[in-house]
Formats: sequence, structure tokens, C-alpha cells
Amino acid sequence: MKKVLVLFLAFFLPLGAFAADREVYVFNWSQYIDPAVLDLFKKETGIEVKYSTFESNEALFAKLKILKKNGYDVAFPSTYFVERMRRLGMLKPLDHAKLPNMKNLNQGLLNKPYDPDNAYSVPYMWGSSAIGVNAKVVDPSTVTSWDDLWNPAYKGKVLLMDDVRDVFAMSLRSLGYSGNETDPARLKEAYKKLLKLKPSVKVFNSDSPKQPFLNNEVVIGQIWGGEVYQANEENPDIKYIYPREGATFWADNMVIPASTRNIDHAHAFIDFMCRPDIAKMNCEYVGYATANAKAQEMLDEKTRNHKAVYPDKADLDRGEFQTDVGEAIMTYEKYWELLKTQ
Amino acid sequence: MTRGSRFRNFAIGSPMLWIAVFVVVPYLIVVLFSFLTRDPEGIVTWTLTLENYREIFSPVFLKVCGNSFILALGTTALTLLLAYPFAYILTRIDENVRRFLLVLMIIPFWTSSLIRTYALIILFKANGLLNTFLLATGLISEPISILYTETAVFIGLVYTLLPFMILPLYASLLKLDRRLMEAARDLGATSRHVFFHIVLPLTLPGIIAGSTMVFLPALGLFYIPDLLGGARSMLIGNFIKNQFLTTSNWPLGSAASVVLTLLMFLLLVWFFISTRRAHSGDMETVK
Amino acid sequence: MKKVFQSAYLAFIFLFLYVPIIVLVIYSFNTSRFSTNWQGFTLDWYRMLFTDGPLMEAFANSLIIALSSSTIATVLGTLGAFAFYRYRFLGRQVMYSFVYVLMMSPDIVMGISLLMFFITIGLSVGVTTLLLAHVTFCLPFVVVTVYARISGFDRHIIDVAKDLGASELQMFRHIVLPMLMPAIIAGWLLSFTLSLDDVIVSFFTTGPSFEILPLKIYSMVRLGIKPEINALSAVMFLVSLVTVTAAHFFFAKENK
Repeated sequence: MKKVLVLFLAFFLPLGAFAADREVYVFNWSQYIDPAVLDLFKKETGIEVKYSTFESNEALFAKLKILKKNGYDVAFPSTYFVERMRRLGMLKPLDHAKLPNMKNLNQGLLNKPYDPDNAYSVPYMWGSSAIGVNAKVVDPSTVTSWDDLWNPAYKGKVLLMDDVRDVFAMSLRSLGYSGNETDPARLKEAYKKLLKLKPSVKVFNSDSPKQPFLNNEVVIGQIWGGEVYQANEENPDIKYIYPREGATFWADNMVIPASTRNIDHAHAFIDFMCRPDIAKMNCEYVGYATANAKAQEMLDEKTRNHKAVYPDKADLDRGEFQTDVGEAIMTYEKYWELLKTQ
Repeated sequence: MTRGSRFRNFAIGSPMLWIAVFVVVPYLIVVLFSFLTRDPEGIVTWTLTLENYREIFSPVFLKVCGNSFILALGTTALTLLLAYPFAYILTRIDENVRRFLLVLMIIPFWTSSLIRTYALIILFKANGLLNTFLLATGLISEPISILYTETAVFIGLVYTLLPFMILPLYASLLKLDRRLMEAARDLGATSRHVFFHIVLPLTLPGIIAGSTMVFLPALGLFYIPDLLGGARSMLIGNFIKNQFLTTSNWPLGSAASVVLTLLMFLLLVWFFISTRRAHSGDMETVK
Repeated sequence: MKKVFQSAYLAFIFLFLYVPIIVLVIYSFNTSRFSTNWQGFTLDWYRMLFTDGPLMEAFANSLIIALSSSTIATVLGTLGAFAFYRYRFLGRQVMYSFVYVLMMSPDIVMGISLLMFFITIGLSVGVTTLLLAHVTFCLPFVVVTVYARISGFDRHIIDVAKDLGASELQMFRHIVLPMLMPAIIAGWLLSFTLSLDDVIVSFFTTGPSFEILPLKIYSMVRLGIKPEINALSAVMFLVSLVTVTAAHFFFAKENK
């Protein structure tokens, strides 16, 4: 019995007690980096990557807010969470001198409103959310606007994201406002319009919106470009349409949380991820659009030209990146609760 | 100090210390939070307020509570109906086989619940296995929609929570003294009589344990209803999660959690008092 | 006739429990990367599974945590149920109420409050805090299961044992424990199952150096669950099934 106890303690106590100095702690979605990249990084720098995962931006934010020290060295939050974390002092500023490979990045994705001059973040992968249709049932040429979701012909066949910001951004854009609106009157208007759409909605899903399309449960709805790209491997009839009001764009970014253990290792890792050959490996492994222009050029033509993944410039310019709406999020949530309980 | 009292102290001390440190103290943090004010720049400010509780009692919250309550109650009733005969039959089997079947029952639950829910989607979806099967056998001529209906939600919840009903029922049914039932039958009682007047009262602790272990977790569950039901409505679990994660309004989320606890607590107290009357002597203790 | 009906009912419940798992096992051989519709047969996912070091490590970590937390929770919970039943002590009712409070606390509330608590007492998050958290949320399920069995006991058995001069410990060990065994096993099985599947509480209470399987699985949702996970679930299911069956026949023979 005593032996068991000793073995038990021997297992549980030492872990966490020492933080080895040749390690970098990365906090990311699972399978969001090619494992071969992590091995290469260790081989070249001698720094071992400890990879942990989160399941939503919100959860990542809450955890980093509580952890004050001994946390993670590099995290991968999406667009407006970068802004919120930066505003709340949860991030360390980046030293661009230590990130020479940033020059390889797609200039069209830098210096966005959520992080001017990229003082705190470096984009990694990016994409959009727009309209998906099943071409077997809906003629794609008849769908050009977010308003088409309100078409009574699609009653009971519509999919919306299960995310307050994505759903309101769509409604706001269709009314001609910004998807990052904070004016309560306009939010109310967007809510009123969504109320009319609610009876048509079959499912709210932002985990994997391609599934209800592939399962023939819905024929039209919001979806991510990357999901359409994946869905087309099984069903080429799922089409992606950038609405004329503009799609919503997002980017996942590399940041250094304030709770970092080793800021030098963090910089070394971020810079490594910006190397074109590395970015290409990751992009091929994950299947999303890389923020690395050099890497994009190295991709095969089919992927590089898939419009759902890499929109042309006009669609990109028409669209909008999500930014933090600050305290207005309370109003969003109130209307979201009302919408869901109707 | 005698050996007996040393054991007594250990038996009381170790679990109570654990509960005090890891349950009571963190819960007090939640209670404290529910009286503080949300801080847009941080987490909370140290201004005491009752505002969170005032805000909670809105029509939206009541509706959310109502939805969750109905779902949890329905799930509890269904699992009880399915599990009771199962546990009962199980206890009448030879000991070796019985234990084997018990473990066999739990093995599917060692697979991630998310993966199991995905498997249910494969079964239920419009072009899924169930529809394909029914169409092939000619039982239906059009695919029936199961996914994103209440039926799917209940099947999913029952499927996930069934062992939480079966295991306590099994454990308490196992001690049922069969001689008692035989004696009653010898005295001319009908099967129905034996069941309602002997079996049911004697297994009441198991029924209560199983029902609370299904009902309480079912109240907070939301991802199974969301995945299988289409997330068109909001449950208390979503509501609380959104306060903590979407709006970072931890005080309001805490208040919602405290109110939920209090509501359920009143319900349980009422339940225990009424069952204790029916089954007196249960909570009686010695020094 | 009655026997046939009873067997049929057992078969029905087992069918209900096993059909989704069988679907899962079949689909683990599906070529489709997103495993919605059947595209063809492959063994690739199994090949990838056994070369995926981090995934196997997370799986091993999950097993270690589930085994140890359910065992600790079962010991504590059994003692607790016994104490609630037999002894009267200060705060008994309050403590018993907290068992239920814990059971209905939403995961997010438990996760965040435990994390804040650990940080406040200066414990850095990692395997230790994860273990503490898992024991904590398993505890009420053991207490309630064991208490349900103990509360139906004939109190006289204990009194007789005491009259014969048994100490509390002897009485607990030789009288109470054997009678509680079915409930203890049931409580352990529930705890093990709960611990193996927990996501939210684990997310908040583990640290950067310790990754467990459910976190990995849930975090895959956004990019699509890898079919490797189906393969892993299938392997685990079949290994458990074979082990349990083998153990059953081994012990059945021995008992004869």
C-alpha cells in the first residue's frame, strides 16, 4: 500500500514543478499545426513545443484572463478577441525586429482595425463566412444577397451559425450597416429582421455547418469558406456565394499572452511559423487559407484558385473583418436570448 | 482514544474536509461573485449590488428555466421507465453473468459523448441509416425527419444519461429480500400489489438516487440538445455559459447559477420531506 | 414466457446502447475524411492513429486521470456516505446539501470557480489540479449511489455487530463494506465514465503541460473531427469488450 502511495506521489508531484527552459507552450485548436512542423522546430532550435488545445475563443479568453503567470507562450485567438485581449492588457507587444519573416505575409491582411500595425498579433490562417447553397435544390445564380435567406421558399431549410456575432453581422449587413455595429437602435432593427427569419431556420450550427448541408437537412445558409472546400470533397453541389453586401472575414492570429514563461522562445516560434516553407506545410495539413503570401504562391493551382478559400480582391474589399464591439456585446446577447427563446 | 473513534474521525474527516475545501469554498466564490459588479476592463469590481438578481428575474430567464426543466423532467421519466425493468431483470440473473452484463452496459459510455452523438446523427439524419433502412423495408415511402426534432433530443439525452439511472437502481434493487415478495404472494397478494406495496417502496432510495443523478445533470446539459435539436431554443446551460464566455458577465452568470441551485434545492427539500413521510426512518442516525 | 420477455427486454436495451457504437466502428473504416456518408473502405485511419504520438499520449493521460480520480472519489465517497448515514456531526446536513449543489453546478461555473480557487491558494494548474477537480465532480455520484444502498439497510445488523464487541473499523470492514460492494462498484464505474468524458472543467483546471483526450476531441470540432478519433474509439471499445469478456469467462471458470 505504501509503495503504491509513493509511486503515486512520484507520478503526480514533480510534473508542473519544473518548467524546463527549452520549451515553448502553445495554446491552439487541435490539429491546427502540422506535427512535422513541431518536430522541425525542435530539430532546428532545440526548443520543444508543448501543444495544448482549446475549443472556443471565448473559453481561451476566460482562461487567459484568470491565469496570471506560468501560462502559455503563444496562443491563437481569432480576429476580435485579439482586440479585446489587447485592450485588457492580456497580451505582450511583439518585437518586430525578432520577426524578420513577417515580410512574407499577405499585406492585405496586415494592419487591420482589430490590431493596427500588428503591434500584438501576426495572422496565421484566415477565411470568410458567407452563403452556402445546395445547387441540387437552389439555383446558385439566383442567390446574390443575404436577403435571399429570407426567401419563403426556403422555409425550414435554412442554416444559421450558432454565434451571436456572426448572425447579427449578417442581418446588419443586409440592412446596410456595419457588421460591427454598436448602435442599440440598429441592433434592434437587426433583431426585428432576424425574428422574421427564425421560423425558417432549421438549425443553428457553427461547429461544423457543412454537416447539415451534406446530410441534406438544409439547402441554404451561412457557412465558412473552408467548410465548403472540405464539403466539396464529398459533394461538389455545395456552392459558396459571396453576397453583394459583403462577407464577414476572420483571421486566426498568433499572440503572446501576458502570462508567458519565455518571451524569446515565443518570438522564435512565431517567426518560424512565418517561414514560407513552414506556412506551406501547415496550410496543406489544415486546408485553410494561409496568411503567408509566399506560401500561397507555392501551392498547387487548384487550391490557390478555389474561390471559397481565396476570394478575389473585390470580394475581400467588399467584406469586413470582425472587430470588438466593447460593451455593446451586452445588447447583442440580450437580443440573442430573445431570439432564441421566441 | 479508542480505535473506533479514530475510524469515526477518519470516516467523517476525510470526505468532509474534501467537500469543505473543494466544494464549499469554490461555491462561496460563486456566491460572492453574484453580489459584485461586472467590470468591463477586468472581471469584477468590489461594489456590492443586488442588481444581478434583479436582472435575472426576467421573462427570458424564466422561459429558459422552464425549457430546461421540462426537458430534464421528461428525460428523467423516460430513463426511469427504461432503466427500472432493466435493472430489475439484471438483479435476478446469476451473479457472474449479472456483473458481466453490468460492465457490458457501461462500455459504450467510455467513448466520448461527442463522438457518440455524432453517431446518432449518422443514424437519424435525412439520408441516414435509419431512414435508409425504413425506406428499404418499405415501412415508409418518404424519409421521416428525426434529426432536429424533440424526439431526437430526448433519445440523445436518454442515451447519454441511462447508466446514471441503471447503476443506482441496480445497487439498491440488489438488496431486495425476495422472501418478502414470496411471503406476500403466499398470503394472496397479486403481482401488482406486490410491486406497488413492497417492491416499489423498498427500492425508493434507488429511484430517488437515480432520478436526482439524471435530473440535476440534465438541467445543465446543452450540447446534446443543441447538436440533435438544432439549437433553436436556449437552455439554462447555454444561458449561464453565455454570461461567462460571450459577455464576460461573471456576476450575472454566478447569480443565475445560485438561483438555479436554490430553486432545485427547494424542490429537493420538498421531495425529501414528502418521501420521508412515506418512508420514515431513512435519515435517522446514531451518534 | 416470462423469461423470454425478460431476455428480449435486455436485448432491446443493449441494442439501443450498442447500435451507435457499432455504427462508429463501421465508419472508422470509411474513406471519407469527414465521415458523414460512406465513401469506401480503408485502414488508413488506424495507421495514422498508431503513429500519432500526441494523441496517444493524451489518451494515456486521460486513462491515468480517470483511473486515479475514480478510485480516490470512490474511497472518499464511500466513507462519506457511511459517515452521513451513521454519524451525527456538526454541519452534516449542510455538507450533505453541498453534495447535491455540486451535482447540479453547470460545468462552466465549476471550472471557473475551481480555477480561481487554485490560483488563489497558489497552486499552479497541471496534473495535480486536474486530479483534484476530477475527484471533486465524481464525488457526489459515489456518495448518492452508496447512500441509496446503505439507507435501505437493516440497522440491527450494525447494532448486533457492535454488541458482539466489534470496533467501528471492524464493523465497517467486515459488515458494511461487503454489503455496499454493488453500490461501490456502481459508483466507481460512474466516476470512471464521467472522468473520461469531461471537457469544460478539465479545460479550466489543467495546465499547459498536461493534455487529455476529451479536450483534443472537442477542439477538433472546428476543423472537423479526425477519423483517427473514430479509429481510437473503436480500438478502445473493442479492447474493453475483449478484456471484460475474457475476465468474465476466466473468473466464471474459476468459480466452478
